[in-house]
Amino acid sequence: MHRHRRNTAEIEFLYRQHGSALLLFALAITGERGRAQDAIHQVFLKLIENGSLSQAVDKKAYLFACVRNAVLNEGKRDDRNTQLEPDSVWFIPPDRDYARERNLRRALGVLPDDQREAIVLHVWGELTFSQIGDLMGISSNTAASRYRYALAKLRDAMFAKENFCANS
Amino acid sequence: MPTPDDERFEIYLKQFHPLVPDPMPTEGRGQASRRSFVLRAWFAAVAAILIVAAIGLHIRSNRVAAPNTAIEAASPVVPLQPLTMRSANALLATAPSFKAVVDGLAFRSESLTLPKGEQSALAVLGKEKIKL
Repeated sequence: MHRHRRNTAEIEFLYRQHGSALLLFALAITGERGRAQDAIHQVFLKLIENGSLSQAVDKKAYLFACVRNAVLNEGKRDDRNTQLEPDSVWFIPPDRDYARERNLRRALGVLPDDQREAIVLHVWGELTFSQIGDLMGISSNTAASRYRYALAKLRDAMFAKENFCANS
Repeated sequence: MPTPDDERFEIYLKQFHPLVPDPMPTEGRGQASRRSFVLRAWFAAVAAILIVAAIGLHIRSNRVAAPNTAIEAASPVVPLQPLTMRSANALLATAPSFKAVVDGLAFRSESLTLPKGEQSALAVLGKEKIKL
C-alpha cells in the first residue's frame, strides 16, 4: 500500500515535470488536443495501475515511448501527414505573440511526421539523439541527421513566413 | 555538426513553452477524497462534542438530584407530621446539631405526603389561572 502510494506520487511528479513536453509530442503526432490529452492520461493512469515505471531505467525516454505507442496504437493514424487543428494552440509564445505561435505551428505542420517528432523530442523533450533513435527505432546518427534536416526546413518555413508577413 | 545558426534557432524555439496539460484524473480524485475526509472529520468532531455535552448534562443533573437524596437519608428521624412547637422542640432535643434541625425542617415540606382524598392548597392555587 505504502509502496503503491510512493509510486503514484512519483508518477504524478513526472507528470508535472514532463507533462507539457509529452502533450506537445502527442499533439505533434495526433494534431488534436483532445486525443493528445487522452493519450497522456491513459499512459499515466496505466503506469499508476501497473506500477511498471519503477522497472524503467530511463524514465523520461520511457514516458515518451509510452505516449508514442498509445497514440499509434489507437489505430486512427494513417500514413499521410497529420491534419493539424487550425485553431488549437500548442505553445505559450514569448511576449504573448500568438501570430508567431501560429507561424511556428504551421511550420511544424508542414514537416513530415517523423521530422516533426524529432524536432519536438530534441527541442522541447530535451532527449538526446541516442534516446530519440531508440524511441523511433533508428540509429542515433539517423536521428541526428533527421533533426538537422527538419530544423533547417522549419527555420526556412518560419522566417519565409515572417518575412512575408512583414513585407505584406 | 550543429552550426551557430542552428543553436540560435534552437534557443529561439525554446522561448515557446508547450502548454501545460490538464491535471491528472487521480489528482482530482485525491482532492475529492481529502475533502470528504475533512468533512467526515468535522462530523466526527461535532458528534464527539455533542456526546460529551450530553454526558456532562447527565452527570450534572445527577449531582443536582443527589443532595435531596442525601438530606432524605440524613434526616430519617424527622417525622412526617405537621410542624408544631412540640415537634420542633422534640427535634431540637434529639438532633445532633441546630443546623441539622433547620435543614430537616427546610426540606420536610417536599417530602410531606398528604392522605388520600386531600390535596395541598398551594398546589391547587398554583394550578389555577387567576384572572385579575
